[in-house]
Amino acid sequence: MSIIYQAKSIRTMDPHQPQATHIAVKDRKILAVGNADDIADWQAAWGPLELNTDFAQRTLLPGFIEGHAHMMEGLLWDYHYVGYYDREGPDGTIWPGLKSIDDVVAHLKQIQETRDDPSQPLIAWGFDPIYFEGRRMSAPDLDAVSGECAVAVLHASLHILNANNFIMDAADVKNADNSEYIRRDDSGKPTGEFLGQLGMYMAMRTTDLDLLAAASSPKTLQTFSQVARQTGVTTCTDLANPVPEGAEVAMRETVEKDSFPMRLVVAFQGNSLPPEESVARMQALQDKQSDKLRFSLVKFVADGSIQGFSARLKWPHYYNGAANGLWYIEPERLRDYLKAFTQAGFQCHVHTNGDECTEVTLDAIEDALRAHPWPDHRHTLQHCQMASRAHFKRMKTLGVGVNLFSNHLYYWGDEHRAITMGPERAGRLDDAGGCLEEGVPLAIHSDAPVTALAPLFTAWCAVNRVSSTGVALGGESEKISVEQALYAITMGAAYSLKMETEIGSLEVGKRADMVILGDDPVDVGALGLKDISVLGTMVDGHVHLNKGRDA
Amino acid sequence: MSQASPLRLAPKVSLTIIAGFLGSGKTSLLNHLLTQSGGRKITALVNDFGALNIDSELIEAQHGNQVSLTNGCICCSIGDDLMRSLADIMRQDPLPDHLIIEASGVADPTRIAAYAAVDPQLRLDGIVTLVDAAAHALHAQDPYLADNYHKQIEAGHMLLLSKPDLVEDAQVEALEAALLASYPAKPQARVRHGHLPIEVVLGLRGDINLPPLGSQIKDHGLASWSAHLHGDIAREVLAEKIISLAPHVLRAKGILRDPQGAYAVHYAGGRIDFETLDITPSGHFVLIGKPELPPADTLSNLFQSTPA
Repeated sequence: MSIIYQAKSIRTMDPHQPQATHIAVKDRKILAVGNADDIADWQAAWGPLELNTDFAQRTLLPGFIEGHAHMMEGLLWDYHYVGYYDREGPDGTIWPGLKSIDDVVAHLKQIQETRDDPSQPLIAWGFDPIYFEGRRMSAPDLDAVSGECAVAVLHASLHILNANNFIMDAADVKNADNSEYIRRDDSGKPTGEFLGQLGMYMAMRTTDLDLLAAASSPKTLQTFSQVARQTGVTTCTDLANPVPEGAEVAMRETVEKDSFPMRLVVAFQGNSLPPEESVARMQALQDKQSDKLRFSLVKFVADGSIQGFSARLKWPHYYNGAANGLWYIEPERLRDYLKAFTQAGFQCHVHTNGDECTEVTLDAIEDALRAHPWPDHRHTLQHCQMASRAHFKRMKTLGVGVNLFSNHLYYWGDEHRAITMGPERAGRLDDAGGCLEEGVPLAIHSDAPVTALAPLFTAWCAVNRVSSTGVALGGESEKISVEQALYAITMGAAYSLKMETEIGSLEVGKRADMVILGDDPVDVGALGLKDISVLGTMVDGHVHLNKGRDA
Repeated sequence: MSQASPLRLAPKVSLTIIAGFLGSGKTSLLNHLLTQSGGRKITALVNDFGALNIDSELIEAQHGNQVSLTNGCICCSIGDDLMRSLADIMRQDPLPDHLIIEASGVADPTRIAAYAAVDPQLRLDGIVTLVDAAAHALHAQDPYLADNYHKQIEAGHMLLLSKPDLVEDAQVEALEAALLASYPAKPQARVRHGHLPIEVVLGLRGDINLPPLGSQIKDHGLASWSAHLHGDIAREVLAEKIISLAPHVLRAKGILRDPQGAYAVHYAGGRIDFETLDITPSGHFVLIGKPELPPADTLSNLFQSTPA
């Protein structure tokens, strides 16, 4: 049946018709967009259309598109959230932020006392000690939760883990040349904090629990899609996935169902195989795609993170004097991969956090394009947090797009000012304004689960550019307008995924993917963007209402 | 401290990390080690199968990212999956005797070494860093990678100079002298096409009965010495004596005792490691080093030994 949805306001992101009140949906696609006066003409042309007024007091926008998230967001909700900020779970439950180490311990203690089998490992995630001045979590804190089972707390960055003494005893933590990856107290005793993936390895080795086993299980995918629906996302990326043989079939079975409220774009982890085999694997995945599941991107991670001091920065490097960061792939190898995938005609997304890494990656892309010219490659730099105007100009020339990590401004803005970058460079962090002014295609992202998936919040960050304590980063030239931010989380992201002819705006012929909002973000304006309620989404014309909200 | 976990009592897997830049000869070295394993069951975790060119007589089977060899196996893990691959390997039954991880050209080897510190079944034997004699000048000044390069050399317990045949001898000697000046305790050895006695890289086998060290050692211009050490030998005293021979000693191993019981001592380059054993110690002790090692009688006096 074809349906006309009436809304209070429809923001289409289509310049021909930016605003409307009625939208007709047929066969999963948008049949017509206009207002009440158009209905008679539509009926005459297309036959009977049922009028649905469920959203007559709501605002419709193109479904939001998250261009950089990870399926792990779906996995982590199997464990216990202990982050500093409130976070909405897949079922609409708001998990209140825990504001001290004692709060975290008390919360976990309560879980421990009430769960069915208290001898099983207790795993928590989302913890971020940078907000707790001075004191860091230690093993005795978690021993207070339990000394009889493994207790592990994974940090928000996913690159630090705190363990209790139960785990450390089982692991027999050794001195091992005083590794800088094992935090120690003044007396040299391990505190229980482990850096890199060490802690996760130790927890897996001592508990027999494979923390990552369920990473692409149907349940993980379901949870991931529910988090997406709660925040208005209709197309989400998994950046990246090694897509082992057979995984594509399992994913498709889940994603294909009409009840699955999300389109999934999987980026193949390009360096999981040598270049030739990697290209071949990508080619083999092409006919495994569907309307709702894509294997259209290749992802590379070229450096680490700024807050983890592992991003590669240009001189004068880190503000606090820390040594320059790490390459996660040899620049020479990155060049080989980009050449191979450019030649084969696959779009590449490269994680580059620091400005040195951004430059090296642009060099590599330029090399690949000299060898294999491709006018619309649309290779995209992900995060790209420290790019300067000069870098944006070069991206423009090379045809490179960017997806900025705008949520960083809020979550780590203070830290970047005081510790990692200093005030001047922190001012140009995730410079969406500069990017657009230089003419580079822009998307903005959350990197969920590193920060919460919520495009309206990400838009708010790019528009307002304030840290969690309210300190401004940069000035007007780095900000973007509400309209530009809304474009970035819809058409901008669609363009970065080469899906702009299918999704990202509400115009005739495109897929019927929409978000149903409580208020019109343009009317609400800059300050209120993040507080607009998301009532549900529509994917391929199927309505998915949110839990915990009145429609 | 709670009860010792079962993991802690199981036999340990020795871990050697091969570090070095892209093209520094890691693969050649690994290839050589796999073909002359000397009875060791080796698992190697590599970056790229393609480059390895494994002797087909060694290959038993290949499944996806794993090649089974007559004397062990090779797993491929490029990208970000080291943790996962390592966990999979350490779940194998039986476990290998020795695990070799080929670090990527930009890896911080200390980061990999740290895994051994949190795994009761892994014993870090050492980090071997390959230094490309022909490309050293280039690498040491690379605008993007120089810091990485120095970090890898810093992390190496032993430095292996590869491709010495591609440059003038004087140039190799100058490089050796420069490295010695910066790292006076790190032993160095030259390696051509990956050829080096396996005992130098992986150490002597766990069950040493002091096999007569092959002529290989001499062929590579290296020296060795072995003896019986009697009575209780305090670990720290022994450590001091071995370290006093740096940088001329590459390897030491002994199955000895102190008042607490039997122990094994493993010395790999600058790194010394003691392992408590539950056996009757043989008193065997072996050194492999450079020709500059002191003569046998001096060593004998130092360690107060009797000839083996």
